[in-house]
Amino acid sequence: MLALIVFLPVVAFIAILLGAPARLTAIAAAAVNLVLGTYAAFTWKCGCWDFSIPVLAKPAMNLAFGFPDGMSAVMVLLTVIVTLAAVLSGKAPEGREKLYFGSSLLISAGALGAFAATDLFFFYAFHELALIPTFLMIGMLGRGDRKEVAWKITIYLGLGSIVLLAGLVWLANLTGTFNMGQMVKAAGTIDPAAQKGIAALLIVGFGTLVSLFPFHSWAAPAYASAPAPVAMLHAGVLKKFGLYGLLRLAVPLVPEGMNAWLTPLLVLLLGNILWCGFVTISQKRLDGMLGNSSVMHMGYIFLAIAALVAFPENPLAKPAAVLLMFAHGVSIALLFGLTDRIERSTGSIDLQDLGGLAKSAPTLAFLFGIAAMASIGLPGLANFSGEVLVFLSAFKGYDPTKGLGPVQIACILSIWGVVISAVYMLRAYRNIFQGPAVKSTESAADLSLADRIPALLLILALFAVGLYPNLLLNLLK
Amino acid sequence: MTLAWILLFLPLVAAAANQLVLRKSPLVPLVSTASALATLVLSFLLLGKTTSPDPIHWASIGDFHINIGIRLDALSTGMMIVVTGIGTLVHLFSLAYMKEDEARNRYFTGLSLFMFSMTGIVLADNFIMTFIFWELVGLSSFLLIGHWYQKDSAADAAKKAFLCNRVGDFGFLIGILMLWGITGTLSFDAMKSGLASFGTENAAYFTQNSAAFSVILSTAVLCIFCGAVGKSAQLPLHVWLPDAMEGPTPVSALIHAATMVAAGVYMLFRVQLSLGADVFEGLFASNVIAWTGGITALVAALMATQQDDIKRVLAYSTLSQLGYMVMAVGLVHGEAGMFHLFTHAWFKALLFLGSGAVIYACHHEQDIWKMGGLLKKMPITGITFAIGTAALIAVPFVTSGFYSKEEILAAAFGKNKALFGIAVFVAFLTTFYMTRAFVVAFLGKPRSENADHAHEVGPLMFVPLVLLAGMAIGSAWLTGALSAIDPRANAHGHTEGHGIILGASIASLVLGLIAGFLFYKGKDKDPVSIPLFRNRFYVDGFYDRVLVRYFQDAFAAIIHFFDELLINGLLVGGLSRGAASLGGLFRKLQSGQLQGYAYAFGLGVILVIYFTVFL
Amino acid sequence: MASLNDYLLVSGLLFAIGLAGVVLRRNIIVVFMCLELMLSAANLSLVAFSRFNTVNGLPDYKGQMLVFFVITVAAAEVAVGLAIIVALYRARQTIHTDELASLKG
Repeated sequence: MLALIVFLPVVAFIAILLGAPARLTAIAAAAVNLVLGTYAAFTWKCGCWDFSIPVLAKPAMNLAFGFPDGMSAVMVLLTVIVTLAAVLSGKAPEGREKLYFGSSLLISAGALGAFAATDLFFFYAFHELALIPTFLMIGMLGRGDRKEVAWKITIYLGLGSIVLLAGLVWLANLTGTFNMGQMVKAAGTIDPAAQKGIAALLIVGFGTLVSLFPFHSWAAPAYASAPAPVAMLHAGVLKKFGLYGLLRLAVPLVPEGMNAWLTPLLVLLLGNILWCGFVTISQKRLDGMLGNSSVMHMGYIFLAIAALVAFPENPLAKPAAVLLMFAHGVSIALLFGLTDRIERSTGSIDLQDLGGLAKSAPTLAFLFGIAAMASIGLPGLANFSGEVLVFLSAFKGYDPTKGLGPVQIACILSIWGVVISAVYMLRAYRNIFQGPAVKSTESAADLSLADRIPALLLILALFAVGLYPNLLLNLLK
Repeated sequence: MTLAWILLFLPLVAAAANQLVLRKSPLVPLVSTASALATLVLSFLLLGKTTSPDPIHWASIGDFHINIGIRLDALSTGMMIVVTGIGTLVHLFSLAYMKEDEARNRYFTGLSLFMFSMTGIVLADNFIMTFIFWELVGLSSFLLIGHWYQKDSAADAAKKAFLCNRVGDFGFLIGILMLWGITGTLSFDAMKSGLASFGTENAAYFTQNSAAFSVILSTAVLCIFCGAVGKSAQLPLHVWLPDAMEGPTPVSALIHAATMVAAGVYMLFRVQLSLGADVFEGLFASNVIAWTGGITALVAALMATQQDDIKRVLAYSTLSQLGYMVMAVGLVHGEAGMFHLFTHAWFKALLFLGSGAVIYACHHEQDIWKMGGLLKKMPITGITFAIGTAALIAVPFVTSGFYSKEEILAAAFGKNKALFGIAVFVAFLTTFYMTRAFVVAFLGKPRSENADHAHEVGPLMFVPLVLLAGMAIGSAWLTGALSAIDPRANAHGHTEGHGIILGASIASLVLGLIAGFLFYKGKDKDPVSIPLFRNRFYVDGFYDRVLVRYFQDAFAAIIHFFDELLINGLLVGGLSRGAASLGGLFRKLQSGQLQGYAYAFGLGVILVIYFTVFL
Repeated sequence: MASLNDYLLVSGLLFAIGLAGVVLRRNIIVVFMCLELMLSAANLSLVAFSRFNTVNGLPDYKGQMLVFFVITVAAAEVAVGLAIIVALYRARQTIHTDELASLKG
């Protein structure tokens, strides 16, 4: 009964509105959801999680949830893990607990609904549902010029969603159904010209939501401004909706259309990796750096999608993309969570103002080190397994006698991104934690035992998948 | 073969136990040392075994598997002796050396992590596994170089080491992918047949384009070589290794002299064996590799002649010796390179630990010009250091270094006379700078208070030195017994020119000794000053000031500027400003005057009536 | 005798005067009175339609019933409206509509 998992956060949200203690309710709901969601993800093959009630008779529209394949199971797993970590590590401003924790739960519900929906309408609607609390939280509880940022992402994501909606309506119109399973079956009938148009709309629409270059500049300021749980949930989970959508709809439904846009897609993803990579290097603040780095890392997942588009029988690309989506979600959530800790304990996240924090806060330094290493793709942590599979998938179908194809060239250039991410991550780590202590870090507080729990939860996930990727890959069979 | 699995995972278990369970307990150093000792015993037990255990599927998609597997053969088991043997001695030495360090536990945990990673590289049976552990040794090296992270220089050095290695790994990963595309396999075992079938499948194509096969293979091999350039600190990525001396000295001995930096050579040789040495013969890539090695050997030796820090002298010497090994691999005499790796590991670890003992005794004084007369103050250290030096400068017939260097010289003599010349000149330089270091630091009279008050180190430190000194002499004879790679086992007749090689090497030794003594005997400050060498050919400065600051940072700043201007300013900003000004227009309509609204409403009603009734 | 058209003309005039007053005058009391005027105009036309729209020779009383409803509701509305105006005056010290523009966007 997948609906239970999707609606549990909503129920908890209503309970909070009715006066239940906000933080405790949110944590309890997230914890229960973690257990249920993990169980569901690992048993998705039983087919017993499907849920459907008709909402509209004609055209047939059902409030339907299910696991069409392992990809949605993995995404649900990611969502429940990050949700618990987010509500555990959130610290609401005085008097705003209801808004703070309620919104976090709603984002989680929206993401779960979108990943589990098998009906196109709810697939789209749940994602929009999750965006509303995101805007609210940034606009009301954000840092810096929060109004401007909220304004920017509202317009930006709104436009992206409209373009996406146009593409989805077109698709639904041509296939004559809202059921995503049946849409895939009807896919062969779409003629190439329409495919090309739909693919363009989907790439731009989904791409904007995932901050595909050049539609990326909403992301970094939004994450810099957003309260920690929102940054964790949005960057970690909700953003993956666009990639999920491309893999779920665009690639199987309009393969020829996607293939027609392969070269532009490759150029754009290199824009993500190289252009945004250099933008990341020049960041002076940790939050801006992490925001840009998350933009950059999206490029690798697009690379896997491109590999799949260029070579449809590619067995590696989709699992690679899913694995990296999971890994990136967990690691970026961890980084944002810990960044919030650094700010709380030193009062600054400006790289120039910090130094030597490892002395006064060794646990924080250790955990942040793991997160940073995960983000630059160190083996043993989940991101590496994802990245290496992405690169392998890009070279699947490489014929040395014909020279390098466009996907391989893009892959080679992308690998330089591995160096770039090491440059900025190590620079940040060096500036914040190493070197002699400065005034703001001399007496900074280390993580308390309760603070460690969310970080350890995420690190556990990173290690589990990093040390044994088959854990997730078996789900994708 | 569960023994092999235990060998691989024991250090990881030790590291994990230290980090997670023991934490601040005083047992941590002992646990790490015990695990190192246990792996040494296991390595001896595994000597000569060649049946590999079944691999673990690490990541599987359909019938594609990435495995974690163990490959046991003469190359890997012999290398394990080096890794675990030196590892154990370094652990023992560290027990004393790091006794007063408050972050001792972190240090030993890092050592255990390193032992795990290095074991993984050595035992790996496929490329991805090599790459995994390749990155992990990079991490442990980063952690150990940055052990005293509160010092800016140490933190910077750690970062630099990691980044240089990353640059190398960029090529390495591409090489792995290309080779995968060519041979269709990641496993070392299947690589040779994969390459053969690639040749036969595309036979028609290759008969048309005769050069294509060698071009394709060369590209892949050169990309893989990039990895070795990073890890083994060859030109132009050599800059991190001398800086890495910021780490504790035992770490320099283990990681940055004996084992990790040799991993590049080991990996290259592994690739050469897997693809078949014959395909490397005459390959363009082989030439590049050989010349890179030769030039690195030369340049590093030149830089070593002008360094004042004892550890830096040794660091450049390591660079130069690694250049020898890489050159040997490039000359398709990998077994000579491995042999030199094997002997060099012992005596270079000895030299580093010896310098560690000196530094420890002189209260962390590293400048050789502030030492002097140490032979009398610390006789055991002094004598073992002298033995190490003798091995490094290849004193004929008694030291192990002589035999292995001879093999390399022979390989160069047979294949490439120019490189032979360079190698002989490097041998002379080696003798010269080592004589200089020994004369200045150990002979003469103390030139500082610290040196004056130095006295012999405790047994925990000198026992490893003595054992290593034994190996510095004996390792050349033990190679066969330890079933490591020994080129002399299947001597393929380099007897021609034997006399010339021997003569050249002895001549360079004698000349070097004479020059060293002549210049430096009884001097209080360096009589020779060559700024070019002292400043390391200005390469470091060029990287820092030009590549990093101007190229990378300025480039990043420019991109950032354009990102703000074009994308954020024009595209997004334009959109949001457009929406905002449209909103502003509508906003004017909202005057707040209800009467105005009523008026508009009235007009609207009239319009609607007009449209519905009259149109 | 006056025809239906005459009544409707007067009603229309009254409505127009009322509308003009609502839109143009700035004193809320006057606006309010003009509003009442518009209601009266509507009432007048209702009564007129009722009178001239005979059913079986009798006027159609439904229209007149509606007028009574309107008058009742208007009375109630006046009571509420005046109360609001008084409250508004207490709060803002003015009943000039130009100064009551807090809805301005």
